Amino acid sequence: MSESLIPAETLERVGEVLSGPVTVVIDRREAQRYAYAVGDENPIYFDEVAAQAAGYRTLVAPPTYVTHAVVQPRTASDLRTDGLYREGTRIRLRVDRVMFGGEEWDFLEPVCVGDEITATVRLAAVDQKEGRKGPFVRQVRETTFVNQFGDEVARSRMIGIAR
Amino acid sequence: MSTDTDTPAAAPNLQTLEAGQELPTMHKFPDEAQLFLYSAASHNPHRIHYDREYARFEGHDDIIVHGPLQGAWLTQFVTDWAGPGARLLGVTWQNRSSGLPGEELVFSGTVTSVDSQTGVVELEIAEHTSDGRLLMPATARVRLPTA
Repeated sequence: MSESLIPAETLERVGEVLSGPVTVVIDRREAQRYAYAVGDENPIYFDEVAAQAAGYRTLVAPPTYVTHAVVQPRTASDLRTDGLYREGTRIRLRVDRVMFGGEEWDFLEPVCVGDEITATVRLAAVDQKEGRKGPFVRQVRETTFVNQFGDEVARSRMIGIAR
Repeated sequence: MSTDTDTPAAAPNLQTLEAGQELPTMHKFPDEAQLFLYSAASHNPHRIHYDREYARFEGHDDIIVHGPLQGAWLTQFVTDWAGPGARLLGVTWQNRSSGLPGEELVFSGTVTSVDSQTGVVELEIAEHTSDGRLLMPATARVRLPTA
């Protein structure tokens, strides 16, 4: 049994809100700029008639766009040398490096242009696992996205692998 | 930064769709301009996506394609196939490796289950480079129109 990579203080934080709630309005130009950058020119993102014909209230945003829409403006002096912003809330682990492991998304309701979306990020899980290359930590940051009607529209789980 | 799809879009028919059927593949050709545009549009200032020297310092072969961009392509792969009347219910992906500008990236998928009552179809999908390096194994759930 190897030494725990997860300090007790970190385990106690599971369930804690890490950031938010943050509320933004889904902007047509920003959502379309995103769709063009992906190279996803689905008419439901650009043509209101096509979106309504497909059963949407109005223009819809690409599925995972909502996570980028809620990024708050930050001063460039908050950038680290790797180009990422300094985090407000750090999860303490006894590890050398953290990698992006993947994402899990549930899309519950459409996110349309003009919708007011509130995002809240929680530390959903921190678990130590045994891998072929030794112990590692799987941490899950879950974001819930709720619209102006009070409906949860999406849920994302960002999985970090640390060792 | 173009997209190629093997066959023209024809929405899948829930009545004839079966587990084991394959989706037409989608091909992406990311270049530096696309990585720049995606960094800007997703508010992502991570240096490994635009600073070649820094990306190599971190151990990458070149600047790398963003994980969330590869994820967005997986959702596009499914929604292009399923058609505008379908609803994407969920997607999962694992970051195994990163695509590089100049590489051809190939999206493939197989139907794993079909519920003809609810229209819910489950898919196993993947993104590889054209020479077979697995970038993202993934799954998706989509609801096709039942009417």
